[in-house]
Amino acid sequence: MKKLLAIVLVLAMTVAVFTGCGKKDGKAEIKDDGVIRVWVGEESAEFYQKACDAYIADHSDFGYKIEVKGMDTGSIAGTITNDPTAAADIFTVAHDNIGKLASTQCAKPITDESLIEQVLADNPESFRGVIYSTLNDKQYLYGVPYISQALFLYYNKALVNDGEQETFEGLREAAKRAGTKAITVTGDDGFNMSFALLARKVSDKSTTVKIYEGADSASGGSKGTSNCQGDDTVAIIRWLQAFAEDPNGFKWASSDGWDADLDKDNKGVVAVIGGAWHYNTAKSALGESNLGIAMIPTFTLTDAACEGLSGVSAGDEYRGGTFADCKCFMINAYSPASKYAKEQDLIKYLSSKDVQNESYVECLNVPAYVGATEFIKKCFDEGKVTESQYNLAAMQVGMAEWGIPQPFITGTLNTYYYSKNGPAVFRAMIDKTAYPTTGDQILTETESLDGVRKGLYLVEYLWMHGQAPSSFPASLPDPA
Amino acid sequence: MSTEKKKRVSSQSRNRRVSLGATYTILIILGIIWLIPLVWIVLSAFRCQYQPDGTFIGRVTSNFFPKQFGLKNFKDLFTATYYGVPGAFPRWMLNTLIIAIIDCIISTFLVLSVAYCMSKLKFKLRKTFMNVSMIIGLFPGFMSMIAIYFLLKSIGLTGNPSHPEYSVIGLVLAYSAGAGMGFQIAKGFFDVIPNALVESAKLDGCTSFKIFQRIILPLAKPIIIYQALMSFTGPWMDFIFAKVIIGADNARYWTVSVGLYSMLFGTHPDTNLFTQFAAGCVIVAIPIVTLFMFLQKYYVEGVTAGAVKG
Amino acid sequence: MGAKANKTPKNQKTGLTFVERISKSFSDFGKRFADGSPGTKLSHFIFGAGNFYHKQYIKGLIFLLLQIAILALMIFCPSINGTPYGWKALRNLSLTHVSEGGDFDPFTGQFTSGSDCKLMVLFGFVTIAMIFIYILLWNKNIQSSYKADMDRKVGKKPTTFKEDLKELLDGKFHVMMLTPTCIAATIFTILPTIFMIALAFTTYNSQDMNDLGTNLFHWNGLQNFRAVFTGEGSLGIEIKNRFLPVLGWTFIWAIFATLTCYFGGIILALLINKKGLKGKKVFRTVFIFTMAVPQFISLLAVRNLLGEYGPFNSLLMQLGWIAKPIGFLGLHPSDSEKLAKVMVILINMWVGIPYTMLMTSGILMNIPADLYEAGRVDGASTVKMFRKITLPYVIFVTTPYLISSFIGNINSFNTIFLLTGGGPTYTGYQAGGTDLLVTWLYKVTIDQGSYNTGAVIGIFTFIITATITLITYRRSKAYNEEDTFQ
Repeated sequence: MKKLLAIVLVLAMTVAVFTGCGKKDGKAEIKDDGVIRVWVGEESAEFYQKACDAYIADHSDFGYKIEVKGMDTGSIAGTITNDPTAAADIFTVAHDNIGKLASTQCAKPITDESLIEQVLADNPESFRGVIYSTLNDKQYLYGVPYISQALFLYYNKALVNDGEQETFEGLREAAKRAGTKAITVTGDDGFNMSFALLARKVSDKSTTVKIYEGADSASGGSKGTSNCQGDDTVAIIRWLQAFAEDPNGFKWASSDGWDADLDKDNKGVVAVIGGAWHYNTAKSALGESNLGIAMIPTFTLTDAACEGLSGVSAGDEYRGGTFADCKCFMINAYSPASKYAKEQDLIKYLSSKDVQNESYVECLNVPAYVGATEFIKKCFDEGKVTESQYNLAAMQVGMAEWGIPQPFITGTLNTYYYSKNGPAVFRAMIDKTAYPTTGDQILTETESLDGVRKGLYLVEYLWMHGQAPSSFPASLPDPA
Repeated sequence: MSTEKKKRVSSQSRNRRVSLGATYTILIILGIIWLIPLVWIVLSAFRCQYQPDGTFIGRVTSNFFPKQFGLKNFKDLFTATYYGVPGAFPRWMLNTLIIAIIDCIISTFLVLSVAYCMSKLKFKLRKTFMNVSMIIGLFPGFMSMIAIYFLLKSIGLTGNPSHPEYSVIGLVLAYSAGAGMGFQIAKGFFDVIPNALVESAKLDGCTSFKIFQRIILPLAKPIIIYQALMSFTGPWMDFIFAKVIIGADNARYWTVSVGLYSMLFGTHPDTNLFTQFAAGCVIVAIPIVTLFMFLQKYYVEGVTAGAVKG
Repeated sequence: MGAKANKTPKNQKTGLTFVERISKSFSDFGKRFADGSPGTKLSHFIFGAGNFYHKQYIKGLIFLLLQIAILALMIFCPSINGTPYGWKALRNLSLTHVSEGGDFDPFTGQFTSGSDCKLMVLFGFVTIAMIFIYILLWNKNIQSSYKADMDRKVGKKPTTFKEDLKELLDGKFHVMMLTPTCIAATIFTILPTIFMIALAFTTYNSQDMNDLGTNLFHWNGLQNFRAVFTGEGSLGIEIKNRFLPVLGWTFIWAIFATLTCYFGGIILALLINKKGLKGKKVFRTVFIFTMAVPQFISLLAVRNLLGEYGPFNSLLMQLGWIAKPIGFLGLHPSDSEKLAKVMVILINMWVGIPYTMLMTSGILMNIPADLYEAGRVDGASTVKMFRKITLPYVIFVTTPYLISSFIGNINSFNTIFLLTGGGPTYTGYQAGGTDLLVTWLYKVTIDQGSYNTGAVIGIFTFIITATITLITYRRSKAYNEEDTFQ
């Protein structure tokens, strides 16, 4: 009997708990409690709450309350895929997450005609390929761009003479004087690697690198063509290998943070390649008066880098490249249908040119729409932003011309670019270390020309197949 | 003869003085080594250094001793907005305090009751219970973290958009629910209490409840305090479990250690928060260390009870 | 249950095993049905019927309500987040009745979500637990009624509810005391652990699922375990190439971390307790102080102190001893792995020694003074006395502690996670040079979302710790005395 009481208690609790709160067999959905929740980047949460309040004040028939919450944008996508039913109705992610969120059905498409019209009218052609994704064999718009992002250069004005920031070699001179390294990056993932991978010849902005070009997910996911075995890429890697070995050359970000490197007391580096989201940290490392902002510099290929290569010649000048990305609004797939129309109205407003402009003035978010430069210039002329704040936007817009949006069509391809160790092989090549994990095939060295060619073949293969090749082809570059 | 003896005595005492001197030296050196990192955190908390143009330096710097002292870090800590939550730090402190108090009460109760049963009562499934708890205890704890999250979520105690505050209750449950399985130390303590006491009380017609209440509890003061101390300080130190259960997106209801940890390691790119982190550490450490120093005696008893008896 | 196999013969003689006990309680089921009163017979179908028959209304009502509750749950299958309990949950447990979802109505915005496999598995286990409880209840309810029958036969009155409650404070006191823990631990410890073990036999791996563009996973038998040898799957190569090194380092770490802290602590305790030493309390306080500070604070302090731009490196550079910062903690991939390993062991001494010191201080005081006296008379040196008297005594008393601290060190998450984060990293692998099995498990599950691989690592960790425990602990004095103790 007494043990029975024990069981009674167990049961009573479990049953109450599991039946009391359960709905009858239904679809998983966030409850519609009259609130639309929005997740944006932490730095602009306050601004968007204000904007939303203003919107509700103007549209008394909106019928929903709006709660804006600041989130770490880097982790939003992960938080949502972990548990979309606990996420906001509208959230913002960098566009390269769109494929993942769409294919795992964490986001739902946008169908409002006027919103689609606004997106297509406002944004650069290059974004169009990356904000659509496929659902049930149909192409849908998933992400609405509202902030653009690209890499550029922060440098220490106290150590770098004017003009030196324009070339890697100039930075090296400055570093030599200061007894430091020339340049670092803020991380070693696929995004940061783009400064080398996507470097383009200055004379004609050309590169042989292709990442899923012409990929088409609508027809069952053709991966298009990729190439990273061109002679220019080989030469760039070899140049960077030498530059990394130079006592005053390139270094990887240390775990203490690139900003500790940038601080001149630490004799770390004189410049760092980063994005607008690093602005405040860079400012506190250098102080506003020493903080210089510029395009990613150019570099000149050396004899050693071009040795044995036919597609390039010593003296060719290249500019470091970047991915030119955008941040987008998306709608949670688990958000109830009853909110759908209102959510799209709200996104239409939040991604309008006016709100984008305001968010630049208030939070330094660089607008994504075509022709934002004029507004940025106007703000500077009117004294609404400081010089470094102006530079920040101007250089980013400038760099966008040298970049491409991070490509993806479905979740798969983008994941391959990032997660299948392509960036790790890339890093191994620059460090001239072996890359150990390629199935049975082991890339034993990346120092020789052959080693670099194998490494690049491996990277390309990883992009295309998501796994390592069973063997390397007899001759490289591989024509296929 | 007698001079020789004197010599021996004096040489012995000299030896002794030398060895005592050596002991002092070693202990002082060791003491310094042990204190340096903590002293440094305290110094960093009071550091108030600026760039020449007035930008505040909040990250790790190469100088051990700050060039300027000030209370700016503490002021910032209590007023700043972290992770989109205005006044986040005081909020985190409050959350943690609430969680710690409730967890302390529930856990201590559960541990004591289980330990008493295991040590002093005879019943059929006793050995089974002990084996199960031992086996479960051998699995890495956070393996089950994700499942606990979804269990709590399915009863609305976390990841609940309309009631984010419920996740605090969820965390308390997650912390204290398994506490009873950690009865071994308290059992070790109860084992030492002579069975004769219990037997004679039984002969006097005491019920098991009475024995527990009148005889065991008064004797168990050290272990109660030990257990309370452990479960109270736990939530102040855990930075993994709390984040998963409460949710990375739910910064308002984080505990203080999750908040402090995220200040250094969040994917948030601002590494300029080190001095504020240090200030937070000082504030968290003060009450815990005080408690600990105050209740040291009981801690030692608990540790020894657990250590020498399995 | 592996623990059963190791039972000593004595054990088997004295008590019935858990399984035997269960089977016994079911074996006399036929007898009860035959002999029982009509109430008892009816109890086989309607819970509590026998109790009503014997006018034990409250008890009967409790039984009846519970039966109704469980049956209702089994039949009506309430669902949470679209995933049902009840018989549907049992069906779902096979992970075959799943749908990918994704039906979308562009006009209304109605979007059908797919099946949530992890909830299916979780709820499936919850339902199985319910069924188990149902069977136990069924048995209890018959037993209870049968007992009342028997009471009546010998002329006693069946117990009243009040009497039952009273008994809870005495003969069945353990039931009352253990119930809360049983409930809580079942829901929040045992069930989740079983769930995670089950994931080791699935394809629940976010990365693979992401690649395939699906939200669904299914059972795949022992394939994840096979990956340790074959290197299949998205993390297969990682597991195959890194498992043995991580395992090896986990052992080396555990051995060194345990022994250094243990002997360091004893020596420190001896130093502090030295006769004639003044300020014992001050010294003790200093060391206990570091122990009282939460680990994430003290370890992060050390990490930053030794960091590339921290004060320690800059001091060495100012002294001119080194030209550029040393990566003590392997935070940079090019840092030395050996140095990082030595450093974590050293820093762990900083963390662990005060603990042992505190613990052994008491034990040292308890060593009978005449032992030393005898030693002194024999003219033994201090070192010799330490080796021949102190150490054996302390080791004798603290063997259980040594074992549990060894196991604790195998699972020592904080030290590694906070100091090195597992670094130096290997290009292309999750598991770095100083990663232990537990930190690796963390990276694989929390960072990568590879729950199946994580579960495999977790199970291996369990096997290791369980083996050590079984071999040493169960044979140890403390455990065997436990039997004779009662």
